[in-house]
Amino acid sequence: MSKNKSPKQSKRQYPPFWEKFIPAAVIIITVIIILLVFITIRVALGMEAFSI
Amino acid sequence: MNFMNTILPFLSGLVSFGFAIVILRRYWQRKGLHLLLWGIGMVFYGIGGFCEGYYGAFGWNPLVFRMWYLFGAILVAAWLGQGTVYLLAKKTWAHGMMIILILGSIYGAFKVIGAELDPTLMTTSLHTGSEMSGHAIVTPGVRSLTPFFNLFGTVALVGGAAYSAWIFFKKRVLLHRSIGNILIAVGALLPAFGGTFSRMGFSGALYITEFLGAILIFIGFVRATTPIDENE
Repeated sequence: MSKNKSPKQSKRQYPPFWEKFIPAAVIIITVIIILLVFITIRVALGMEAFSI
Repeated sequence: MNFMNTILPFLSGLVSFGFAIVILRRYWQRKGLHLLLWGIGMVFYGIGGFCEGYYGAFGWNPLVFRMWYLFGAILVAAWLGQGTVYLLAKKTWAHGMMIILILGSIYGAFKVIGAELDPTLMTTSLHTGSEMSGHAIVTPGVRSLTPFFNLFGTVALVGGAAYSAWIFFKKRVLLHRSIGNILIAVGALLPAFGGTFSRMGFSGALYITEFLGAILIFIGFVRATTPIDENE
């Protein structure tokens, strides 16, 4: 019988910088895509700025 | 000839062609339709850059204009995005999208080849900041194709890269792929920002962002395919 409790499996982590950077970047990119889709659909319906 | 409207687009073209060679060599070695489509997409990116550079150096040429509009304005984002569809979606979905894209591309090619052009209408585009603009196309129903291709391409390429980065992050595995996909997403978004900045009066912003976009996508691809020591 072991005296020590089995060590709790610790969750894998990226290095601290990437732990913060990657989710922030993904959120920002997602917001930009949603905006682009919104603008493009509006523009495609009105056919103005985004057609080059 | 100046740096901004001639050298920079040529450089974008060179980077894109170099990147296309890297991807197509990888496709040759490993197969995978996503690699083939990304390679083709980067060739289109390069053609667009060279056509912009050609216009800056030598002026109007109808064939160059048609090539620029077809490859650089209509097809590039969609073919790159289709590569990501092959990477992430089920094969049957990807094949279905591919058929639609091929038919749409053939239709677009016919429309662009047959379009009536008037270069006097092509002043520097207010919309994109590009020296070349689709306003030279007189025939209706050609320019209206671009939003559909670009919307699909941007959502698939940028959205796919962001989604991949998130999946790797959630599992906390393959950090290099997370980073690489973020770089690819940012690189693919940059030209869209360039157009916006150009409209706000920052001259040449599109050419700068096209160049930086090609480099970032390139670096992102190399990063995503080169493992790093995650304990560093």
